[in-house]
Amino acid sequence: MWRRVLFNAQNVQQLKSVNLRQLAAKATAPKLLQLEQVHIDEAVKLEPALAIYTPEIWRRAHETFQNHGLETMSFLRIVTGNPNVLKRTPDRIINTLEIWRACQFGENLLHLLLTKYPELLDVTDAHQLLTLSAYLKSRLSTNKNVWKVLMNSPDLMAQPENLIEEKLTYMFEVMRIEVPEIVKSSALSLSFEELRCRHTFLVRLGLFKPRPLKADPNEPTTNHRLYQITDTSEKTFVTKICHVTLPEYEAFKELLARELERKSRKTQVEEEFSDEEV
Amino acid sequence: MLKIRNICMLQRRWKSGKRRWNVLQHKRNNCDRALETFDDFYGSVYGGRWKNMRAALLTEHKYVAMVNNFGDTEQTCSMLELDGAINIKSLIQLAMEREEAGTESNLLLNRHAHYDIDDKLESLLRKQQEREVAAIYPSAADDGHVPPQQLSYDGKKNKEDSHTEAQTDSEKEASSVQFTHSLTKALEQDVQLDESRLVDPQFGTGGLYEYVPASSIKGMEDWVAESEHYKYYQTNTDFPLIIEPEAMFQYPEHLAIYTYEMGNCAEFKPPRQCLTGVLSHFLMDGASVLPPLFLQVQPGERVLDACAAPGGKSLLMLQTLHLDQLVCNDVQESRLNKLRRVMQEYLFDYKQRWAGKRLIFSQSDARNLDEYGSYDKILVDVPCTTDRHVLMHQDNNIFKPTRIKERLRIPELQAGILANCLRLLKPGGSLVYSTCSLSPVQNDGVVHMALQKVFTEHGITARIKDLSQHTALFSDIYRFEQPKGLKYGQMVLPYLPANFGPMYFSKITRNS
Repeated sequence: MWRRVLFNAQNVQQLKSVNLRQLAAKATAPKLLQLEQVHIDEAVKLEPALAIYTPEIWRRAHETFQNHGLETMSFLRIVTGNPNVLKRTPDRIINTLEIWRACQFGENLLHLLLTKYPELLDVTDAHQLLTLSAYLKSRLSTNKNVWKVLMNSPDLMAQPENLIEEKLTYMFEVMRIEVPEIVKSSALSLSFEELRCRHTFLVRLGLFKPRPLKADPNEPTTNHRLYQITDTSEKTFVTKICHVTLPEYEAFKELLARELERKSRKTQVEEEFSDEEV
Repeated sequence: MLKIRNICMLQRRWKSGKRRWNVLQHKRNNCDRALETFDDFYGSVYGGRWKNMRAALLTEHKYVAMVNNFGDTEQTCSMLELDGAINIKSLIQLAMEREEAGTESNLLLNRHAHYDIDDKLESLLRKQQEREVAAIYPSAADDGHVPPQQLSYDGKKNKEDSHTEAQTDSEKEASSVQFTHSLTKALEQDVQLDESRLVDPQFGTGGLYEYVPASSIKGMEDWVAESEHYKYYQTNTDFPLIIEPEAMFQYPEHLAIYTYEMGNCAEFKPPRQCLTGVLSHFLMDGASVLPPLFLQVQPGERVLDACAAPGGKSLLMLQTLHLDQLVCNDVQESRLNKLRRVMQEYLFDYKQRWAGKRLIFSQSDARNLDEYGSYDKILVDVPCTTDRHVLMHQDNNIFKPTRIKERLRIPELQAGILANCLRLLKPGGSLVYSTCSLSPVQNDGVVHMALQKVFTEHGITARIKDLSQHTALFSDIYRFEQPKGLKYGQMVLPYLPANFGPMYFSKITRNS
């Protein structure tokens, strides 16, 4: 079973041999604790960049990860996803893991996160990561929610805080969406303009009505779920969610951008006037 | 002594934040009211297509540029062409050639077919009435108690009714003890009739004459039922109704109107001063071009624009260079002033050559104009709910709660104007009735009402010209309502890539 996860179908087809059958027999074992040459070969096939490392380096890195609770299986996925990890000294790897551990997602969840996005092991700045996670926790209330958000949109790591703040405020105050729904979508990966455009389009079509402020939170809404709005391609969003045609949305995007630009220019002028009066 | 820290502490205000839900809540304004009414009304008229129109109405609209023939015409044309705009005239020519080449058999119009729209409006009227009744008698629905639908002003009958009601009530009580009653029902039934106050006809009926039946509800004297508005839409025809296709359509030779193709949302440059002192081009909503175009003003004709301000359509008729005399009428001085300003800006030698000679202004209600039978062509662009305006602008919004009576009776005003304009026409002359509303009540409903009115009151008959064959020429630029949805006219629908309209227009010719 683990093979299916690790390697794609093409590779599997090439390996129809006795060797493979042996591997399959091993795969039924509950946990893989030993790194074997077969694993390395398979990984190299998937990611040729890994071919340059000696078995010693492989063993050392594997041991480091294993000591920190990551199974062989996860290790292989990490290195195939992010070959540069092998280049690093065990100390550096441990440092990164410690930084992540400080976010307090819990061991199991943290391993899931790192296995899903091995690039996250490139983090070196503890202060930056902790600030981000503390900020997200302040908006999303629990560590688990922060973890969920990172699982859905890992690119948050690279976004400045004010941009994230802008999007979150928009979702909380204008769209009136609650934390659980935000956490289940990758809305934060979208740019603010795109998010606002999609939302405004739905509002103008009459398909999205913000919940009244005093509404019972248990009452189901008729609005589309946030993940349906944000985690879809433009075409799917327009045709399947809004049930309109693509040219209409394209014209709308253009018109809305102009409208907002005009509005901001107007408020700017007004502000200048009020300054002069003072 | 005060420490600096203490001062800072004092500065802090704890109750400053606007965080309570009732403060944060968006206050309902006129635009919201309009949108709500439209959602309800148009949602049931247009069904699934309403949401596309809604998005288009709530977004910026698209302009066309009409080149001023009294300025540097050629220069302006080349400037607009450089920006990528297309002359509508050439588009029409292309469409005409295409039509000639293709088969012309695709115009199967069964005009007297059954219109879905009639049923829709009827059910809408019923629904609205039920809702209004339910708003006044909130418990009615729970109790199965039938509220009075119509007040009967016959005092005696009411009296008898009350007697019979008392009887039936007691019968009901006997028969339905086994049911658990709702509270209101129980109260109703347990109440004792005050025998001393019943007037027995045996002892004289004097008391009955003093009885005044209720005609309004206390505290709601000004209340107007929204359903009254829908009643203006009638379906029964008791006047000769002839609908015939319009024979020909000719695009004016000298008129240059520029537009961008469908899907292109670019903007035009603002007009600039020409050598002759007038402005180079006039920007207007694209759909407003159609009513004056379909009026087909011919050289030497006397034309009336019954509700002229702000003047875009009048100016277009002047730009065709066909007109002999144009009378611009409007009801308000301020609107006329606006119109005068536009004409001054766009007509060369306005004071010497135009004002009072070829262009005449008159200020009166279009229902009171009385130069009967003296115009060849009339453009009747009546006041309406102006669907785009009421959704975007707060001021001068007809959905203001205090203007409800005015709003609900708007079809009456429109029909009055249209009927009067039909009388102003010379026999054989024609008019175009137009509104910028999507409402079938204000469109087909008003045309119907006006035709009925002029026939019953003045014996004037008219025929309606079917323009659908000619609107097909414009289908590259505009999105039209399919002809089955409309009885007497054509309509431009708002559509995001070509965000013009809404504009309904119907051409009517007075029989000679």
